Amino acid sequence: MSNPLSDMDKPDVIFCIGTNMTECHPVAATRIKKALKRGAKMIVADPRKIQLAEMADVYLPIRVGSDVALLLAMAHVIVRDDLHDHAFIEERTLDADQFLEHLSEFTPEWASTITEVPAADIEKAAKLYGAGDKGAIYYTLGITEHICGVDNVQSLCNLALLTGNLGREGTGINPMRGQNNIQGAGDVGAIPSNYPGFQKVDDPESKAKFEALYGREMDGERGITKVKALNLCGSEIFAMLIDGENTVVSDPDRKHCEHALSSLDHLVVIDIFLTETAQMADVVFPASAFAETDGVCTNTERRVQRLRQAVPPPGEAKPDWWIICQLAKRLGFEGFEYESAKDIFNELCSISPIYTGLDWDRIDKSEYQWPAPEEGHPGTPILHENEFTNGRGLFKLVRYRDPAETISEAFPVWLTTGRRLQAYHTRTQTGRSAGIDYLLSEESLEIHPEDVDAWGLQDREFCRLSSARGSVEVRVRATNRSPRGTVFTSFSFNDVPVNILTGSGYDPITDTAELKVCPVRVEALDKSESDAAG
Amino acid sequence: MSSNGIQHQLILDGEEVNFSAGETLYEIAERHRKEIPTLCYDPRLEPFGACRLCVVELEGARNPVASCTTKATAGMVVKTQSEPVEKYRKTLLEMVVSENREVEVDPLRGYASQELGKLTDRYQARTGRFKGAQSGQLHATDDNPFIFRDYDLCISCNRCVRVCAEQEGDHAIAAMGRGFHKQITTEFNGLLKDSSCTFCGQCVQTCPTGALADKKALRAAELPEPLQKTRSVCPYCGVGCSVDLLSKGEKLVGIHPAMDGPANEGALCVKGQFAFDFVQHTDRLSMPMVRGDDGELHETDWDTALDRAADGFAKTLKKHGRHSIYGIASGRTPSEANYTMQQFIRRGYGTHYIDNCSRA
Amino acid sequence: MNSPTDEDLVANWRDEPAPLLPLLHAFHDRDGYLSEESIAVVSAGLKIPIAELFATITFYHHFAREAPGQSAPRVCTGPICALHGADALLASLDGATPMPCAGRCDGPIPVIKGQQVLIGTNAEELAPTASPLPVANPDGYEECVFADIRAEGRSTLAGYRQSGGYTALQQALTQSPPELIALITDSQLAGRGGAGFPTGQKWQAVANASGEPKSVVCNADEGEPGCFKDRAVLEHDPHAVLEGMLLAAFATGSTRGFIYLRYEYPETCALLETAIAEARTANLIGDNILGSDFSCELYIRRGAGAYICGEEGSLLNSLEGKHPYPRNRPPFPVTHGFEDLPTAVNNVETLVSVPQIVRRGAEWYRSLGLDGRVGTKVISLSGDVQRPGNYEVPFGLPLKTLLYQWAGGPAAGRQIQAVTMAGLSGGFLAGEDLDAPLDEPSIRERGSMLGAGGIMVFDDSRNIVDVARQAMAFFAEESCGKCFPCRIGTQRLEERLSGGGPTDLATWQTEITDIGSAMKATSACGLGMAAPFITDSLLKYFPEQVAQHVQS
Repeated sequence: MSNPLSDMDKPDVIFCIGTNMTECHPVAATRIKKALKRGAKMIVADPRKIQLAEMADVYLPIRVGSDVALLLAMAHVIVRDDLHDHAFIEERTLDADQFLEHLSEFTPEWASTITEVPAADIEKAAKLYGAGDKGAIYYTLGITEHICGVDNVQSLCNLALLTGNLGREGTGINPMRGQNNIQGAGDVGAIPSNYPGFQKVDDPESKAKFEALYGREMDGERGITKVKALNLCGSEIFAMLIDGENTVVSDPDRKHCEHALSSLDHLVVIDIFLTETAQMADVVFPASAFAETDGVCTNTERRVQRLRQAVPPPGEAKPDWWIICQLAKRLGFEGFEYESAKDIFNELCSISPIYTGLDWDRIDKSEYQWPAPEEGHPGTPILHENEFTNGRGLFKLVRYRDPAETISEAFPVWLTTGRRLQAYHTRTQTGRSAGIDYLLSEESLEIHPEDVDAWGLQDREFCRLSSARGSVEVRVRATNRSPRGTVFTSFSFNDVPVNILTGSGYDPITDTAELKVCPVRVEALDKSESDAAG
Repeated sequence: MSSNGIQHQLILDGEEVNFSAGETLYEIAERHRKEIPTLCYDPRLEPFGACRLCVVELEGARNPVASCTTKATAGMVVKTQSEPVEKYRKTLLEMVVSENREVEVDPLRGYASQELGKLTDRYQARTGRFKGAQSGQLHATDDNPFIFRDYDLCISCNRCVRVCAEQEGDHAIAAMGRGFHKQITTEFNGLLKDSSCTFCGQCVQTCPTGALADKKALRAAELPEPLQKTRSVCPYCGVGCSVDLLSKGEKLVGIHPAMDGPANEGALCVKGQFAFDFVQHTDRLSMPMVRGDDGELHETDWDTALDRAADGFAKTLKKHGRHSIYGIASGRTPSEANYTMQQFIRRGYGTHYIDNCSRA
Repeated sequence: MNSPTDEDLVANWRDEPAPLLPLLHAFHDRDGYLSEESIAVVSAGLKIPIAELFATITFYHHFAREAPGQSAPRVCTGPICALHGADALLASLDGATPMPCAGRCDGPIPVIKGQQVLIGTNAEELAPTASPLPVANPDGYEECVFADIRAEGRSTLAGYRQSGGYTALQQALTQSPPELIALITDSQLAGRGGAGFPTGQKWQAVANASGEPKSVVCNADEGEPGCFKDRAVLEHDPHAVLEGMLLAAFATGSTRGFIYLRYEYPETCALLETAIAEARTANLIGDNILGSDFSCELYIRRGAGAYICGEEGSLLNSLEGKHPYPRNRPPFPVTHGFEDLPTAVNNVETLVSVPQIVRRGAEWYRSLGLDGRVGTKVISLSGDVQRPGNYEVPFGLPLKTLLYQWAGGPAAGRQIQAVTMAGLSGGFLAGEDLDAPLDEPSIRERGSMLGAGGIMVFDDSRNIVDVARQAMAFFAEESCGKCFPCRIGTQRLEERLSGGGPTDLATWQTEITDIGSAMKATSACGLGMAAPFITDSLLKYFPEQVAQHVQS
């Protein structure tokens, strides 16, 4: 997030797109509710009529995967009506002229044909966001899990740059991260492109720094992404170390994942449960969990916070870092002589430019949001206050592209996937917590009531959901949350392995899978099948 | 302190003190550690003015005023602990106690559950005066696994209703009826499950008597060890809510939201509040495992497992080279795990064949 | 005619000001009760969370939530009707439920069925009966409130105009709002709902306050037991109320006015609707009234049965569709009233005095009181006197004169044991204190208050402890339940007056006085502060009866 969570009740205009915040980030959503109570206006763009949509002043039920068209048209209206921030564009951005010209063809009428939202509503949304003094954008995986995920994010940045909604309280571009330390994983370099602290692996200076540090030669180009690695299992990749991830269930195209992992010569998994992924491993190490381990995590607003141990881990389970270090030592790797999480974190701070001002003791009270680039630095709640990381903000010339697969005669329905309030990810945790089943005991497929009738289905009965990659059986739930022609389910329940169906395409830059769009067919089960399913 | 920085003065218990526009008498007194008793007050919520324990004497006013709802104005002369006011407080507490089944409740019931007990002790108000009917009615039919609705202990302070509306924005509960028979309930007096309740547990944690209680934590009521609190961060989404882990001995028994948590300021959701017991689930891995010749995973000791794991990587390196080994880190493990993972790949193999689960 | 659909009803009211109560009444009147489905429709239509809406509905006495609902008889069991045999009548009517004082204490027992109030002492006798017209006082004191109420056809626009109606408005419109406020200030007219706040000062505060639109609210939620003066005025002189409201609106710069009328006066509601329609046709309400720049809309909003809604904070919350708890003060309604905007809340009696003052002058009004006192007060007198009814008394008239000379005293052979003041809120006056002159300071001196002016008389045949118990039961029933001293205190006092609590007299008395002191000092609104007047005065005047009660 460019802005802190505590900013979320301060905007005049809130634009939520591709985020089901009341279910996925409920505590953040409480701040939005406060803003609305205070009189803020809200635009919500989402294919499904989620709870946020019910609270919105303008609700845009866009077709799945049409975000770029919507955002281009909103920018078009903002420029056409002279709602853009001339001074901000002048002082803080580059290449604006080109972008403004680029926008001229993307009228709301044009976008309406793609998004299936009335042009008038697009105008309304654009004017609302454009006219607000403090406009804040919030998004989640509904923006990024597309083949055009980068374009989507870029389009949002364009909107914020155009209106000067960056670098001030109550504004910003705010991705809501889905896991408690997903921000930290990137921060510390567990990505193919960066050393710790976003030092680029293909930057010669970084390369030299780490070669000196590690006393070995380093590759000068980026590594491959997880998606590519899975594709190369058995051909180029032969061993994997997986820590705390249930790849088989959470990644797209489950059959492909299972096949990939089974093609490895060697798979080592560190986890707290014997997950579907761990079951495929050659060696499984038992890790300590939340409440059993000391450490640090970084939240969605870049706040660096301490995790603390309250109870001992079961049996001989150990902290992840300890396990990795032991393995490294047995392989003869140097530099793994840590005695505690504190040692590791303090080393990280010493080599990460964004954490330089932090150490284990300083973050005791969770006061710091990175970057804290030097000792004594107070941290940075709001990014881009005076300057962007690269100087000036860059507009990107983005164009709409169709999703990887579009609906067809064989697969005439859009499937979009997501999460539910009561379940977390693949339910390795929530599924093992007493009482959660009382609230949500099984998965269902949300279908508009008229589609339920039109497709010959029965509410509460099972149906078959098929894509080009496979099919699953799932219970039908008739609800107006789904628009006509689009259905929704989550990937949380192992008995409805919806990621068998997904995986139609990947963003060419990030390799993020298009989990939010998948053409499918929905069919009633015949009597004997449905008895078996029930 | 107000942002405009303009300071005004009033007399608080004989002493001139500063305040800024908009501050209430209670807030000012609180800053000066006056320890005014309250039951319906929660600093996160709009002042309500129901319990009247916070009344103070204000020169010129016919009656004492509720300090929580009274905004300070310059020149006020305020007494927070006068004899009559202290007597009213004691009488009010005796009245409150008279309508409750019990005052002493297990702290596992909730974050604020000890408030009434502490105040009655401070005012020696457990006198048994004012005996009469009880107002609350246990909602025993609500079989939800999280929130115990033990309204026999309810004192109608409305904190639960207000936290649900103001803090959580769920508006799932409200106060039905009037007078002594007023009851906290849901729409149509039904179950929480059938209301807009999201089971975030905020009502439980703000309840000053334990009338709303954490059913899951109460499972540990009989454990003999002392209750410990450890500050940590919720293991679920990226908001990073601060929590206090409740433990008794080696048992994790519950979660309290951290009222001073910067990301959540006391808020939590159903997962953070109630979905903690996966940690000590019987399914937890407690021993390393290696795949045997029978094709099954078998528990073993660390040495064996580490050797086996190391051996596999060494052989792969030898056979297929540096670029045949890949590491996947997690968005749910601590940064130290992720840092050592990336270092394992980079330092061990000189590649950047490391990623995490952010793409799924 | 087809009954309106849910959608029709929501569409009719959604965009009106203060829509919740009328929309709920629309469903209630259509179906006889508020079904869960209707509540859900209203919740969605007005965007009120359903749990809150449900709870708010349960706050009101008269919203039924199941059949037969509205058509089932509700029998007044108020203090006076109890003397008249209300319990027997209640028992004799199928499906009947009790209701608190319904404001007909000057006649037999009222029973509400649907939109009708039937009056009688037994089932056969029950019939719709108009409110009695107040009689002129035997001593010939000049009146203000009732000055023209007996004029022929006064309740119609034509009749009202014939007896001088709306000339005050005409006159005021030729002058400026500050001149009107100055006149009212000069008259020393003060709030007649009980609080006695100077009317001119209140209006000035609203006129000075920033924020628009401003509102005038006529408090016609006459819920105090033993008070029925507003009903008489509203029924016999409705245009005077409208004219008073228009003058208040003109003075304060308000563009809208609401009459908050208690549920128990359904016929009055119909009469007022007619009066408003007549006035609108005659350009007395609406845009550019009588050709001036002054525009004002008037609306009627019916309550649904809740004594506390007579308290102005509760009333405003109720109007806004919120849970009708009293509001924390300050801020006061003059700056933060209806929808948090400046609002003048005035009682019916206050408002109808205004046109008379405008026409006859401040000096005239001031001269109406006795011995230097200013103005008049309408007293609703009921109970054990021969001629109950509404009497407009000059301030300073001895209470005894009213009780014996004007109202004929008790029945032959009986003595007056006690009277309650301010309806019930002032507690008892008895013995020598019945000599008191009727004005607020004199009554306050005796530990009571005049308040809204209801006086109920109990002769020596009545069990005074039981009268006190009934009174406390009423306060306990009507306590909003928000603040602890009132919610618990009224309950505990009632229990102790019903035979509960300690049996040792001294302990009993200390409990009563400790509870009472805490209630008076710390309650959040007047209800909890006033309820202990009952027990205090009981202990003061009737120690022997109390001792007998506690020890038996």
